Amino acid sequence: MRLLLIEDEKKVAGFVARGLRAERFAVDMAADGPSALQALAACAYDLIILDLMLPGLSGSEILKRIRLDRNEAPVLILTARDAMAEKVAHFEAGADDYLTKPFAFAELLVRVKALLRRGPVNRSNVLRVGDLELDRLTQQVKRAGKRIELTAKEYALLEYLIANAGRVFSRTMIIEHVWDQSFEGLTNIVDVYVRHLRAKVDDPFPEKLIHTVRGVGYSIGNGSDS
Amino acid sequence: MNARSLRFQLVAWYAGLLTGCFVLIGATTYGVLQNSLVGALRETQARRGRQVGQLVLDEIRSQAEARVGAEVEARYAPDLNGRFVRITRGDGSVLYLSHAPKDQTFVPEEVPVASWTSRGGNARQVVLPGGRKMLLTACEVQSPSGNRYLIETGAPLDDVQAHLGQWLRFLFVVLPIVAVLAVGGGSFLVKRALLPVDTIVASAERISSQNLSESLPVARTGDELERLSIALNHMVQRLDDAFQYSRQFMADASHELRTPLTVLRGEIESIIHEPALAPVWRERLGSALEEVERLARIVEGLFAISRLDAGEAAAAWVKLDLARLAAATADQMSLLAEDKDIRVTCAAVEPVWVEGDQARLKQVIVNLLDNAIKYTLQGGVIGLTVNAINSHAVLEVADNGIGIPADALPRVFDRFFRVDKARSRDLGGAGLGLSIVKSICTAHHGRVEASSTPGQGSRFRVELPLTPAPSDQPKQTNHEH
Repeated sequence: MRLLLIEDEKKVAGFVARGLRAERFAVDMAADGPSALQALAACAYDLIILDLMLPGLSGSEILKRIRLDRNEAPVLILTARDAMAEKVAHFEAGADDYLTKPFAFAELLVRVKALLRRGPVNRSNVLRVGDLELDRLTQQVKRAGKRIELTAKEYALLEYLIANAGRVFSRTMIIEHVWDQSFEGLTNIVDVYVRHLRAKVDDPFPEKLIHTVRGVGYSIGNGSDS
Repeated sequence: MNARSLRFQLVAWYAGLLTGCFVLIGATTYGVLQNSLVGALRETQARRGRQVGQLVLDEIRSQAEARVGAEVEARYAPDLNGRFVRITRGDGSVLYLSHAPKDQTFVPEEVPVASWTSRGGNARQVVLPGGRKMLLTACEVQSPSGNRYLIETGAPLDDVQAHLGQWLRFLFVVLPIVAVLAVGGGSFLVKRALLPVDTIVASAERISSQNLSESLPVARTGDELERLSIALNHMVQRLDDAFQYSRQFMADASHELRTPLTVLRGEIESIIHEPALAPVWRERLGSALEEVERLARIVEGLFAISRLDAGEAAAAWVKLDLARLAAATADQMSLLAEDKDIRVTCAAVEPVWVEGDQARLKQVIVNLLDNAIKYTLQGGVIGLTVNAINSHAVLEVADNGIGIPADALPRVFDRFFRVDKARSRDLGGAGLGLSIVKSICTAHHGRVEASSTPGQGSRFRVELPLTPAPSDQPKQTNHEH
């Protein structure tokens, strides 16, 4: 998979490219509008990551050119602004996803993989981590064959973590997916729910599946994963 | 009426001045009139006295003292004219005394006799037993034979007094009219002149940081008021510029901070995920990352406030049931409260329709509940109510927590303000939650206020304009998963 990263901030481009390469993507970089257009003309990319604030040619201008050239590669926009109206305008202009700085790299990765329709976007009905089992159809959770009763929010939280097992999610990401934007800045709600979830899922069992990664967030897995 | 008001002072001064002048002029005229009337009467009486004296001398010269009386009556008819004439000889005997006048205004016999020292032309006023006043003049003539005669002439002052009384009555009738006209007219004129001030005041009161681009009406009076309104407009304009500048600054600053934050976060995260990293370093970097998160949240909050203050909230407005939103939000946050063993009661049954940005209004409820949970002790109670009161949707969050000291109450909505800095930081607050609530409320043409009894709890009250319920009751966008 070949990705084009159009970002003028060298350091941002640096850690994004490093992280993506570690995930075995081929990453090309362009630091301004003209070189981005050159790269686009030279190679067919599977995905384009586009920063909106660029010298020479604005990100929105590049997005327009991409779509005019009938290039159907998914475009993930990075921006330091997140006015609602702007977001809508860019989706209308043909962006596929939108990420506001400062973002967690894990989030970028999840979105990139989702856009490329590969990776851990697990579509099966029964999700498993160790002896923990979640059935999306019946919304039932079992561990070691025993049924565990969860509230709706606990279920949503567990489903989000388990569908991306092994990956670490920041509290902000969890809030955005399990709650909504109104709860942004209220990260302790995640901690409270994770504690309750642990009490039901982990506490009665010797092996702990839900892990805390200090400063980053939470993940679920067989211990060796994170 | 306010004694310090411009209107009162102007009207009082001019009405007082006018009344004073009128009284002064009236009094002066009265005096002058009295003097001239009395003077004229005195002149006439003195002349008459001299004429009678001449007559007496003439008659005596022709040895006909006895005819004096008849002659005086024939020439001057004092009784018919209402005048008084008395001629007294040197020995005190009366030579002639006029008859009582036809109108019986005085009795001649009662008029006191003048002393001989009263020389020609001397006039005096005497009060008769009936209370009437009479002007008397006396003059002395001496016959060639050496006999002295005192001639007294008099006239009652009734006429003069009648004239003066008339003038006085006129003054008393006109004075109140003048005073009323002065007060009424002055008051009306001042009010009309100050009317533009009222308009300017009313518009100035409406101006807040939300509508600084509006200008005040300019009073086209060509005077100080016009200059005042123009100067005020310039001031509002400069204020607007300053506000714009500070908003722009905040937006720019939070925008500029995002890129370095992204780099910081990305780099630390990539190190944390390094498998070879020793756990102690992972722990420390995690702590650093937590601070980066918090910094990011502050930047996010500031940016949200600057956008709201710039009026960008109106983009996604829908009609929504605030009661339902409140109940759903309270439900979503119940676990957070339960965690501290706090009971949240929600009294929001009747639909209360408002218009606004659903995500933002939800944030108001989230932030207020979060704030209440933070500052309520273990086992406390939080009450959330939504009601329609008059034309307002009123949402209240009341807790029985630690409360807010009175001196801190006016500042709780200020950015970065925290009652107890150490404590709030432990709770992970950035001091922006309530500022965001206020900005959202203001952007929705509403307001929020806080009241508190320290030690007993706080109450936050949000007022938003009501909107009529939609007739078709469209289903609400549901944010819950």
